[in-house]
Amino acid sequence: MLLWRSVPSWARLSANALAPTNQQQHRATTCPVSPSPCWPAHPFPRALPDRLAAPLSPRRLFPSPNPIYPRANPPLRLLVLSPLPLPMAAAKHLAARVLRAHLLLPALRRPLSTAAAAAAEPPPAAADDLVTMKGVRISGRPLYLDMQATTPVDPRVLDAMLPFYLSRYGNPHSRTHLYGWESEAAVEAAREQVAAIIGANPKEVFFTSGATESNNVSVKGVMHFYRDKKRHVVTTQTEHKCVLDSCRHLQQEGFEVTYLPVRKDGLVDVDRLADAIRPDTGLVSVMAVNNEIGVVQPIAEIGRICKEKGVLFHTDAAQAVGKIPIDVDKMNIGLMSISGHKIYGPKGVGALYLRRRPRVRVEPQMSGGGQERGVRSGTVPTPLVVGMGAACELAMKEMEYDTKRITALQERLLNGVTARLDGVVVNGSIEHRYSGNLNLSFAYVEGESLLMGLKEVAVSSGSACTSASLEPSYVLRALGVEEDMAHTSIRFGIGRFTTEAEIDRAVELTVKQVEKLREMSPLYEMVKEGIDIKNIQWAQH
Amino acid sequence: MSGAVPSRAEVLSLFRSLLRTAARFTDYNIREYARRRAIDGFRQRRGLSDPSSVAAAFSDGKSQLEIARRQAVVYSVYAPRVKSVMEVKTV
Repeated sequence: MLLWRSVPSWARLSANALAPTNQQQHRATTCPVSPSPCWPAHPFPRALPDRLAAPLSPRRLFPSPNPIYPRANPPLRLLVLSPLPLPMAAAKHLAARVLRAHLLLPALRRPLSTAAAAAAEPPPAAADDLVTMKGVRISGRPLYLDMQATTPVDPRVLDAMLPFYLSRYGNPHSRTHLYGWESEAAVEAAREQVAAIIGANPKEVFFTSGATESNNVSVKGVMHFYRDKKRHVVTTQTEHKCVLDSCRHLQQEGFEVTYLPVRKDGLVDVDRLADAIRPDTGLVSVMAVNNEIGVVQPIAEIGRICKEKGVLFHTDAAQAVGKIPIDVDKMNIGLMSISGHKIYGPKGVGALYLRRRPRVRVEPQMSGGGQERGVRSGTVPTPLVVGMGAACELAMKEMEYDTKRITALQERLLNGVTARLDGVVVNGSIEHRYSGNLNLSFAYVEGESLLMGLKEVAVSSGSACTSASLEPSYVLRALGVEEDMAHTSIRFGIGRFTTEAEIDRAVELTVKQVEKLREMSPLYEMVKEGIDIKNIQWAQH
Repeated sequence: MSGAVPSRAEVLSLFRSLLRTAARFTDYNIREYARRRAIDGFRQRRGLSDPSSVAAAFSDGKSQLEIARRQAVVYSVYAPRVKSVMEVKTV
């Protein structure tokens, strides 16, 4: 795997190398994100996994011990002396027997543990209360400032969910007994709660497994349904990866997609959007609140334009529902994706809003028993859905209180950092922003070292979906942020449960770490002396 | 039952119970939130004079107290071994 940084800048083939007009055209029709790395597009032929291809290889029989999690019981060593090479089926059978023997023997020495206990805590530290994970030791659980990645489940939501795990565990589609009836009643009550927060009719709300699935159904489902007449999709370059990946999938199928650029403050130009809409445009998809930079797009205006032009308007409102007021009628929204775990609800559930008047038709992505009116087959997970409904109801009640408090906390954070540091840039517009999201870039500081020093604060740089790769975030690239500033960007997420003390501690830690790094940085020394870095003639050694 | 107007003593007792239950949460963030929300909730409703709205607010408060009691137990049973960094006393 090639490290992005190891490739010299002159060799990086990028859109920046093209002439400006070509570059814009290139970026307007090319998906800003690379394909998701999980599975290749065509799965066959797939290489056999190790345990089937070489079940008795020395590497598998005598593995080197893991330094962080050394095994309590040494593995079973099995030497098979066979003159003939074992055929495939026999090898598989033998491997299965080895595995079973391996599992049984330790079980006789140790009590059986549940999957939950096995997956939960890291191995207990020797002396005091230290957490050691991935080579990092901290004295306590970090303070959580990553509310855009996920939010803790509100205790009131958990209270609503628990009965449906304990005693009311029926399948809501069972029509013949009390368990089914009460589950169905709970699901319908949750549907009304979700519909109330967006100003919709309960019949327009469909439960899915999350905002990613809702986005997939919205983008791919709508375009597949109208594939004869509509061949064009308009979206922005700062959308969530699931929307962009769905658009790439559509491009591979032969549809055309326009990826609109955004201005420096992250907002999309509404006139350019209006120009980009063609007679064969089937869908316009613009997210309401960006998860990385927190910018709030002008949804009402975009909705008005789409209504005038007669185009369906989809918005990914995963970060917006419950935080800013959303009304699907006032904003002329045709489809909307909602996520449960961004509004203090459980993970694994989301909702899709599909307008009924005029009716929005989609081709279902999940085929099955026709649940959720055929739009999304599959048993509706009652506890998760009840949790999501409770979270939506709470969000409606607490929106004013939370917004006031979170805005005050954001000001405290920003003022605290900018009062003691210079060279701090806020990525994205400050006025059109959801106050719980603050994305800061610190000049003359290396991003990864900054994050390594902030181990007591749980923050993120780039969105959770892209943090595995070393590429700078595509959203910041779309904003026109330079690469070095993009690498030092940190996203602070403030939420309902954040306290003033946590904000003060985060400010303290960030400022200390940035000052420490800048102290060591020769670039910063030069800047302080007044040398302009951009115009330096570097000597050739 | 929800139509009964609470007396001043009952309201104060509810407030104290809420604060005491909030203090029993093992999670730092939830504990602070419960305490803060109870105080702000009572402060916000201080000017209520209409008897039906006072009674409704009181019964709402009682149900929130029940929820808080149950959840304090659940959180304490599943409390993580290590506390939050904010609670660890630094030298």
